[in-house]
Amino acid sequence: MKKKALSFLMAAIMVAGMLSGCSTQTGSENITESQTKEDITTSAAPVASTTITFWHSMGGVNGEAINALVEKFNKENTSGITVEAQYQGSYDDAINKLKSAQIGNMGADLVQIYDIGTRFMIDSGWVIPMQKLIDEDKWDINQVEPNIAAYYTVGGTLYSMPFNSSTPILYYNKDMFKKAGITKVPDSLPGIDRIGDDLLKKGGAGEVISLGIYGWFFEQFTCKQQAHYADSGNGREAAATAVDFDKNGAGVKTLTAWKTLSDKGYAPNVGRGGDAGLADFSAGKSAITLGSTASLKQILNDVNGKFEVGTAYFPKVSDDDKGGVSIGGGSLWALNNNDVNKQSATWEFIKFLVSPESQAYWNSQTGYFPITTAAHQEPVFKDNISKFPQFQTAIDQLHDSTPQSAGALLSIFPEARQTVETEIENMINNKGTPEAAVTKMGESINKSITDYNLLNK
Amino acid sequence: MKLKNVSRYLSPYVYIVPAIAVFVLFLFFPFIKTIYLSLFKTNKMGQAKLFVGGGNYSDLFSSASFFNSLFVTAIFVLIVVSVSMLLGLITAILCNQSFPGIRIFSTAYALPMAIASSSAAMIFKIMLHPTIGIINKLLGLHTNWISDPRYALVCVALLSAWLNSGINFLYFSAGLSNIDNTLYERASVDGANSAQKFFRLTLPGLSPIMFYTLVVNIIQAFQAFGQVKVLTMGGPGESTNLIVYSIYRDAFFNYRFGSAAAQSVILFMVIMILTLCMFHLEKKGVHY
Repeated sequence: MKKKALSFLMAAIMVAGMLSGCSTQTGSENITESQTKEDITTSAAPVASTTITFWHSMGGVNGEAINALVEKFNKENTSGITVEAQYQGSYDDAINKLKSAQIGNMGADLVQIYDIGTRFMIDSGWVIPMQKLIDEDKWDINQVEPNIAAYYTVGGTLYSMPFNSSTPILYYNKDMFKKAGITKVPDSLPGIDRIGDDLLKKGGAGEVISLGIYGWFFEQFTCKQQAHYADSGNGREAAATAVDFDKNGAGVKTLTAWKTLSDKGYAPNVGRGGDAGLADFSAGKSAITLGSTASLKQILNDVNGKFEVGTAYFPKVSDDDKGGVSIGGGSLWALNNNDVNKQSATWEFIKFLVSPESQAYWNSQTGYFPITTAAHQEPVFKDNISKFPQFQTAIDQLHDSTPQSAGALLSIFPEARQTVETEIENMINNKGTPEAAVTKMGESINKSITDYNLLNK
Repeated sequence: MKLKNVSRYLSPYVYIVPAIAVFVLFLFFPFIKTIYLSLFKTNKMGQAKLFVGGGNYSDLFSSASFFNSLFVTAIFVLIVVSVSMLLGLITAILCNQSFPGIRIFSTAYALPMAIASSSAAMIFKIMLHPTIGIINKLLGLHTNWISDPRYALVCVALLSAWLNSGINFLYFSAGLSNIDNTLYERASVDGANSAQKFFRLTLPGLSPIMFYTLVVNIIQAFQAFGQVKVLTMGGPGESTNLIVYSIYRDAFFNYRFGSAAAQSVILFMVIMILTLCMFHLEKKGVHY
């Protein structure tokens, strides 16, 4: 009897450890929520020396570039501002850490958040709208590329400062295209389908397109069809209440074209995520891949002259689509920590980061757009574009787009993107139909939106 | 006289306080809070907002995705525990005799326990890459190991098994050295062959440590997380969406602490029942 009790106790203690991981984050009340409503004043007086914390998600080559910029600012600014840049892991990690940190009210002064975190950040009440800082300093907002600013502008207010913006483009292996005798680069998914056999048989490609399963591509294909991803004006007029791509047919059209490529073996499953398809392309296996403009530098490095890399516009879903692409990437959010001095210091640092000089450097190091048009005049930028003419495609594509293609805002976008990726994966692996996949996406995302709207009124 | 009595009565409790404080803070409080949260829906800050009673549980039990998680976890645990124990046992027996270079071998076999699961997963991610990975190059295949639902779970499970085998090697080595050598000598005199010695002496001699290893391995396998997060993110589809990863997703990605807490409670129940069953079995199979 005694042993039984003992063994029960032992079992209980052994497994109780499992539970302890999950609930520690939820304790304290959120104090910051009410504080944005208070009047925020930026002092015009010079900033006293202070240290601000900057959270970013730039690893690898991009991380080095951001560190160089921060170092330059720390050295050159005359107000004694020290910026402490902290790498917080991927975009997903950074926003999740921010949520946890804000619960404990110990976040950063400036954070880089991805495009799809925009709605959440606006709703969070933690931020000082960028517009406010801009207006108080009478900074000229027209310096920013209008198609980029459009994404972060909601109800006429620019909420965050665009910093690292990119669009998706199509990369292709020029050597394979030449060998296959293809002169016209495809501008749509059916177009890729039509040249698939030529690329495989004559061009010597191992696969036609290495198409990573990435929610961002799905969103861009929706933009290309000039369709809305979510209702309430793509979530821009008000918080979205449901997705729209399942009702307006855009989702089914995208997945049908995707599945056609997959079924024919032209687009094998190369895995999930934005850079899942890049390795096959750089290794000279696939003839085409889709990727962010920000990957250009990485791709050119990896290819290392083995073949010539060409770039073209992101493909349309059907030949007669007329839409553009929306931007992705990250922007800078100033957090409200109720410290006027830090706030001014943060704004000084932001101004430095988006200055034409910094942006030209940033562009040349990474492949993100210079977000200020004036950066096009910088010698660094001109040198870079003559060295990598492939980048011109990205600039043209952005200018050909319109603010109307700005893309959707959704509070639960990170989750929605995951759902989309899971269902695309299921469709490809289990030979499901596009209709069933879109229905499942809609059901799952709508349920989350309803829950979110109910609980966060 | 009276004061002495009181202090004598109290002093044992004073000794217990530090340990209890740690348990209360890090074990009992989170435990109760988890059960509390599992009855609520939480807002984006993770605060309990709407009381739903058993709502989170009934949502889970009507969700195909949750049953998939349980099913996938069961298969995962089965593979990990059997393979890692077998690996640990074989390597421990191989190293149970002295020969030149034994230290190199025993270090190599114990090494996996020193590797963090996430870094091992990163290395495996590169090795398993369909185009540039060494495994496909060596085997001459074009298999997309971690993007194909047929292989993804097995890959993650085998990686975990290898990682766990290090500590099992250590346990079994200790267990083997505890078996009295004279037993083997006497068995040899009686004419026992090595198979008989293994099944009649080694295995029964190892049974106490084997039992312990089994319990710990099962619990550890249920908690596998880093490998999944780095290698597959629960995909492709949901084929490697182990329950702990699903809890993580719900809690720290979707910020639905209620549902995550409910899953934790169910996981707790499952492991509790399993462990109780094993302690029950212990009476039959383990010889001290």
